[in-house]
Amino acid sequence: MLSIDRRVFQHFDWLLFALVLAVLAIGLANLYSATQAGVEHGLPPEFRRQLTAIAIGAAVVTVVLMLDYRRLERWAPALYVAALLLTASTLVLAPLTRGNRSWLVYGPFSLQPAEFTKLGLVLLMARWFHRHPPGLVRRLRDLFVPGLILAGPVGLIVLQRDLGVAVLTLLIGATYLLFVRIPVRAWVMVGAAGLAALAGLWSFVFKDYQRKRILDFFDPSRDPLASGYQAIQSRIAVGSGGLTGQGYLEGPQTQLQFLPTQHSDFAFSVLAEEWGFIGCSVLLLVYLSLLVWGLVIASNSKDGFGSMVAVGVVGMLFWPAAINVAMVLGLAPVIGVPLPLISYGGTQVLVNLIGLGLLMNVSMRRYIF
Amino acid sequence: MTHLSGTDLPLDGRLRLFAALLGAAFAIFELRLFQLQVVEAAELREKSQRNSVRTVRLEAPRGEIVDREGRTLADTRSARELSVVPNDLQRRDVTFAALAQLLDKDVGELDGRVGNPRGIARFRPVRLVGDLDYVHLARVETHRFALPGVGTNVRPLRNYPEGTLASHLLGTLGEIRGDQLESEAYADYRPGDVIGQTGLEAALEPSLRGKAGGRNIVVDASGREVEELERVEPEPGSRVVLTLDLDLQRAAWDAFHDVPPGQPPKMGSAIAIDVRTGDVLAMLSLPGFDPNAFAGGIDATTWKALTNDEWHPLQNRAISSHYPPGSTHKVIVAAALLQERVITPQSRVFCPGSFHYGGRTYRCWKKEGHGSVDLLRAIQQSCDVFFYTYGVQLGIDRLANIAKSFGLGQATGVGLAGEATGLVPSSEWKEERFGERWFPGETVSAAIGQGYNLYTPIQLAVAYAGIATGEQIRPRLLLRVERPDGVEEAPPTERHPVGVAPEYLEWVRRGMTLVVEEPGGTGGRARVPGVRVAGKTGTAQVVRLEHTEHMQESKIPIKYRDHAWFGAFAPADAPEIVVGVFVEHGQHGSSGAAPVAQRILARYFEKRGIIPPTRVAAQVPETPHALH
Repeated sequence: MLSIDRRVFQHFDWLLFALVLAVLAIGLANLYSATQAGVEHGLPPEFRRQLTAIAIGAAVVTVVLMLDYRRLERWAPALYVAALLLTASTLVLAPLTRGNRSWLVYGPFSLQPAEFTKLGLVLLMARWFHRHPPGLVRRLRDLFVPGLILAGPVGLIVLQRDLGVAVLTLLIGATYLLFVRIPVRAWVMVGAAGLAALAGLWSFVFKDYQRKRILDFFDPSRDPLASGYQAIQSRIAVGSGGLTGQGYLEGPQTQLQFLPTQHSDFAFSVLAEEWGFIGCSVLLLVYLSLLVWGLVIASNSKDGFGSMVAVGVVGMLFWPAAINVAMVLGLAPVIGVPLPLISYGGTQVLVNLIGLGLLMNVSMRRYIF
Repeated sequence: MTHLSGTDLPLDGRLRLFAALLGAAFAIFELRLFQLQVVEAAELREKSQRNSVRTVRLEAPRGEIVDREGRTLADTRSARELSVVPNDLQRRDVTFAALAQLLDKDVGELDGRVGNPRGIARFRPVRLVGDLDYVHLARVETHRFALPGVGTNVRPLRNYPEGTLASHLLGTLGEIRGDQLESEAYADYRPGDVIGQTGLEAALEPSLRGKAGGRNIVVDASGREVEELERVEPEPGSRVVLTLDLDLQRAAWDAFHDVPPGQPPKMGSAIAIDVRTGDVLAMLSLPGFDPNAFAGGIDATTWKALTNDEWHPLQNRAISSHYPPGSTHKVIVAAALLQERVITPQSRVFCPGSFHYGGRTYRCWKKEGHGSVDLLRAIQQSCDVFFYTYGVQLGIDRLANIAKSFGLGQATGVGLAGEATGLVPSSEWKEERFGERWFPGETVSAAIGQGYNLYTPIQLAVAYAGIATGEQIRPRLLLRVERPDGVEEAPPTERHPVGVAPEYLEWVRRGMTLVVEEPGGTGGRARVPGVRVAGKTGTAQVVRLEHTEHMQESKIPIKYRDHAWFGAFAPADAPEIVVGVFVEHGQHGSSGAAPVAQRILARYFEKRGIIPPTRVAAQVPETPHALH
């Protein structure tokens, strides 16, 4: 069943590998700095858990590389449904933490199954757009099926009351719209419908605290004490980094733990404080290179499914990264979206590594046609 | 150029568009980073170095609790707290030595309280004194500038001006527990919040709690505030008006404390309810405690003393303790006998002082016997043989059904947590509980309230209200909630008919009137001149008679003495108020409990203007503050 062609490993994508290693290394160093304050001896527990997640991720990726990604086209619907079922189970099984139900806990392991729906979504979307080439999609009604594919996970995550992840999943699915050929006036209609839907969400679905977060973004003086506090402290941390940063393990905002979620959602502000403009630019550059290289892989693939998987993985990394960085820099509201591979969070690391494994898989098999 | 299979459309064009989009996003981030980290860097770094922005919480004052006439039971006063910010202590040893001297405290204790916090905890104030008196406040303020990192703050502190008078009813405050923080009911609470943990403080938490505000402030290097950035004012909690009448509560208190010099005050409980509205006018449980001790966090010594006390002062006996009802149960039995047509009002029994059934002998409390008695006399003189004889014919299950229709064996729904259900035994219950059938001999004891029956004091009052009105009422404690945006009246009490016809209840009421008003009745000491009172005494054995019958009454150790009950309502022909009294180890319903009911009833009718103020009430000093 595992058909391993020696040629495949001759085409191992060393650039992709190096870029991923670079992001992981920056992420781990940064996580250590964000969590080590107050730890008497040994490694901070968050750091150890992150290392474990990376190790598990590496093992899974090795297996993923053995498989020809084209098999996944057949398995896509099953994987998609499995991810949805896992997510749906949280509605029944998961305890309510901080106002949403999105965690499954198995002894020492806790999972955020919603993350896995991203992989299922990307695979099933890629399969559909492979069979219905996006260049031929010219009418809105052609998007009915992809719309349904997207509505599954987004609907479930809305039921979990996890606003940030719902918006994110929507954006990842919407990435494919870049490739369809639908006239502008159709988009205007979609925009109008979207606004109406948003108004509906605002009145009936959003909880008070979610409305509050959005309003806080547009008017920071509304609740300067709570949400605003994070934004202010994040700005101070980023700004005080200056050109060259305060030095590793030296950032006062970080080491005094002024930001409540500095190891997860505000990890980038830790980097900004300690490494400054130069450090941030390096990370952004590595990120940008990784994403653009992903698009190159999409372009080089001789197979439509491979291209569409690569595009999906790029979307899967880009949207959370963009939203997270925009949030830390005060350009977007404070919503709980982690920075892929940098923020603390086992499921996120695992899922993004598997996604990058798929990308590597597509890249390695670009010549075998 | 790559083509997607089966199309002639270029993919690369769209991929380039995507790449351009990525580039644009990252360019925006670079620009923003440049703005924050290069253009505004100096200003932001200065803010960072001062670590200058702090969020300080402004506590919302908790809502006031007042009685039905607006007299304060719980309010909020300003307390001065003294705290230190560990990070701002410049010469810790010197500061602590000075503080210890100024506050008359031990250096080690102060130092230990602060400990060695790390991280952001260093910036969090640590409270050293929760309620600073004026002498110490003045001393600290005088030396304020020699004490960097030390600050005093005004904070709202719960205050109960009546002390122990209504301690169980008002309840206690305490820091929120871990399991509460995780429950959805407390979703918007934070660790360290002080909430109502028992009594009305807990039951009314959503109304009493206001909304905390806060301030973002800029502080200087030594932690002193230099500028206020933002301020959100706290919203105070609502004012809650209770059905309680402080005068009746005090009358009950005084009656329990009216004992011969040198003796401890009585223990037990008294409840008064307006039978027309269900309003609880008095609810006393003794021994009590001072709820003020809990307001600012209770200290370990006081807590230990309260929890280790053999008489359980934290227990609200009015609702949470149940006891055998003794003869107070006989009026329920009488109503059931009439309703089930086991007797007519004229049925008679000859009481020789004992009753033989199933090979056993059951004694009447009066050894020499009551002679020939009818229903009214049997109630008036509490003749056991009358109820033994007919109780056996009635059977336990018919009795249980009627008793339940009076609200016995179930929580009254007064709205406080921890209400005991009491117990109404039936054959089904015994089968379930012990896996054993009901023996007819057990009905004999049940007919005089001894067997398995258990009442809470509030159930006694509710059951007697049922006899007085023909309806089972749900007692209520809340009259209205006065919110900043309007007044919310409590809903009228729920009521539904008891399972006994009014003409039969009338006979029971006549018997109960004889108990108090006619010579030879057991409740003569509840008489209130000018008002006709109906009542019934009860005495519940604590240990078997053999252990105590040879002793002189005053020589029996307190914990082996019988419990005393008295239930009453008045005026007998048009009832307004029902009173339930339970005196723990009070020995006799007639002498231990009836006088307490008398005091409460007298106070009520004095206030109504029906009887003139009595000398007794005038003699009582109005100082209910001392514990015991």
